[in-house]
Amino acid sequence: MTENENIPPQSGTLIYHLRDVIKTRESEGVAFRLNVPSLQIAQGEKIALIGESGCGKSTLLDMLSFILQPSSVGSFRFRPQNSGVDSNKKKPKSDDAIDIKRYWDKNKQNTLGDLRRRHIGYVMQTGGLLPYLSVRDNINLSRSVLGMDDDGTAERLAKELGIHHHLNKLPEDLSTGERQRVAIGRALAHTPSIVIADEPTASVDPFAAEKIMSIFLELVEEMHITVIVASHAWQHIKRLELRRLSHHTQRSEDGAVTETVVSG
Amino acid sequence: MRPLKTFRLATRDYFHEWQMSGCFVLALASVLGPMLVLFGLKFGIVGGMIDQLIEDPRNREIMPIGSGKFSKEWMEEMEKRSDVEFIVPRTRSIAATVEVSSENIPNIVSMEVVPSDEGDPLLDDIGVTPLGLDGVVLSQSAAAKLKVKPGDKLDGSLVRRFNGQRERAHMPLKVLDVASPKAFPRAAIFTSVKLAEALEDYRDGHAVPLLGWEGNISMKSRSYPGFRLYATSIYDVVELHEGMQDLGVEVRTRASDIQLVQRMDRNLTMVYWAIAFIGLIGFSLSLGASLWANVERKSKQLSVLRLVGFRTGDIMWFPMIQSLYTALFGWALAVAIFQAAAVAINDMLQSQMEVGQHVCKLEMEHYLIALGLTVGSSVLAAALAGLRSARIEPSEGLRDI
Repeated sequence: MTENENIPPQSGTLIYHLRDVIKTRESEGVAFRLNVPSLQIAQGEKIALIGESGCGKSTLLDMLSFILQPSSVGSFRFRPQNSGVDSNKKKPKSDDAIDIKRYWDKNKQNTLGDLRRRHIGYVMQTGGLLPYLSVRDNINLSRSVLGMDDDGTAERLAKELGIHHHLNKLPEDLSTGERQRVAIGRALAHTPSIVIADEPTASVDPFAAEKIMSIFLELVEEMHITVIVASHAWQHIKRLELRRLSHHTQRSEDGAVTETVVSG
Repeated sequence: MRPLKTFRLATRDYFHEWQMSGCFVLALASVLGPMLVLFGLKFGIVGGMIDQLIEDPRNREIMPIGSGKFSKEWMEEMEKRSDVEFIVPRTRSIAATVEVSSENIPNIVSMEVVPSDEGDPLLDDIGVTPLGLDGVVLSQSAAAKLKVKPGDKLDGSLVRRFNGQRERAHMPLKVLDVASPKAFPRAAIFTSVKLAEALEDYRDGHAVPLLGWEGNISMKSRSYPGFRLYATSIYDVVELHEGMQDLGVEVRTRASDIQLVQRMDRNLTMVYWAIAFIGLIGFSLSLGASLWANVERKSKQLSVLRLVGFRTGDIMWFPMIQSLYTALFGWALAVAIFQAAAVAINDMLQSQMEVGQHVCKLEMEHYLIALGLTVGSSVLAAALAGLRSARIEPSEGLRDI
């Protein structure tokens, strides 16, 4: 499982810096443990998280998007890119990383929510579009929640994603693949620091999946957004030059504990 | 920004799912509508009866049976009671008639003399009081018989047998006003107490110097055989009735009618509230359950909102806002149902009612109370669902299907 592993970049600013993060879950007598001894993701990196379902991909993604609180944390730092206007004025310093562990310890859910709203875009497996909003309003959802003006970003993204003629339709009038494109548009529209995509093309046929994935990664690169993609199939994203996080899954001898160790 | 956003999203969701929302509205209206009709009937029937009782001063009248001896002081004492609105003495009924003629008719009409005074409920609506020894008010029937109108002059006269001679005395009268039809059913002339006393004195053979009528000089203090008394409200009648009996005065009142209506009002109110209470609880529970189920159904959408940064407080408003819509539309539909039912019922029973009377009706305040109760119980039920939605983990709905 380690042959494709790239070496994490030593230079550049780290958007995520995790040390000794552990999440334990228990269901029906079987304990599951996700162990992240060390994880460093640099700004602008494209990361792939490959593995069968149940290996802990989603758990890791949820922690990276601050939805799920780890059971124990050594350190968990997050440094969003300075986006928009003030990116030229202020050079990020090494100590302006946000200590997420502290917010978790103090249970500051709303602060975490605010960070997530501003800095993270999320593409769900099945789109997760709001059925009562038009494609345009769905793409603009994060932007409008953040109070950002409609500056044509939605239309530009829709054009690049090939769904601009659907802008005024409701999600129910779209095919699954088109809906995933809308979901990608929504995750990118507010120019977050990072986009997390959990099996973004799992519900689409392989041919369309590959096409959607390549448009997605093109856009991300163009917008200088860090991306983490989880997928159970390595084949069709192999060519897209992503850095693959290594992980090992092993079961304890009595079969009571399954542990996955992720590092990168 | 976000509260407004929440409101807009909840609104769009509500109308996007119009079929589902419509079901909620129908469910609400089907409970509230019949409740309104029920209350409308209770209010219309009993309220109408009570209105009638209150409006007609005759229902507040307390009449002594037979004749007694009541002094002026006794009456003044009675008038001081808070449950007595008005009391006026009555002269002997044999003496209380007078013959009246006008220029407009050839004959003389005999009519009852009804002593009146300031504040007489029978003359309340015209606001005119008989004045002095010539200013009188005629009952409608008397005015019709005499063919006179306010301001006209009349000639009143009465006959007595004095010292073996038959004598007739005349007095000039002036019509101050005509009483409303319901004040007195027969031909009657409302006079001041003073004039009624003068007529009685003359009949008794006494002199009335003010009118120039001769006779014996009366020395004994005056007492009256009866009185006309009105309770302050119909609710005082029963107690006054009993009070009079305690004083040894036999009276006739409409106490039993009043008690019947009051009892009916109490019983119907109780029945109504029992039904309304059960209905309201059932409605709140069913609304709460459906809103709860709705939150479960929408957990994915709600976690999407969580994911794009809506806070717990914002998410809680989602079911609240939607239940407000349901309450508002459901109430409006229920009012429409009530209006239709009320028109139908009133139409059906029109022949058995007096003009302007309704069997089924509600006042504006009743609609508003119904709205308040509906909104209140809806918000309460939605708060329950709101708590559930607040507890939805952002990760909960992300990976279903």
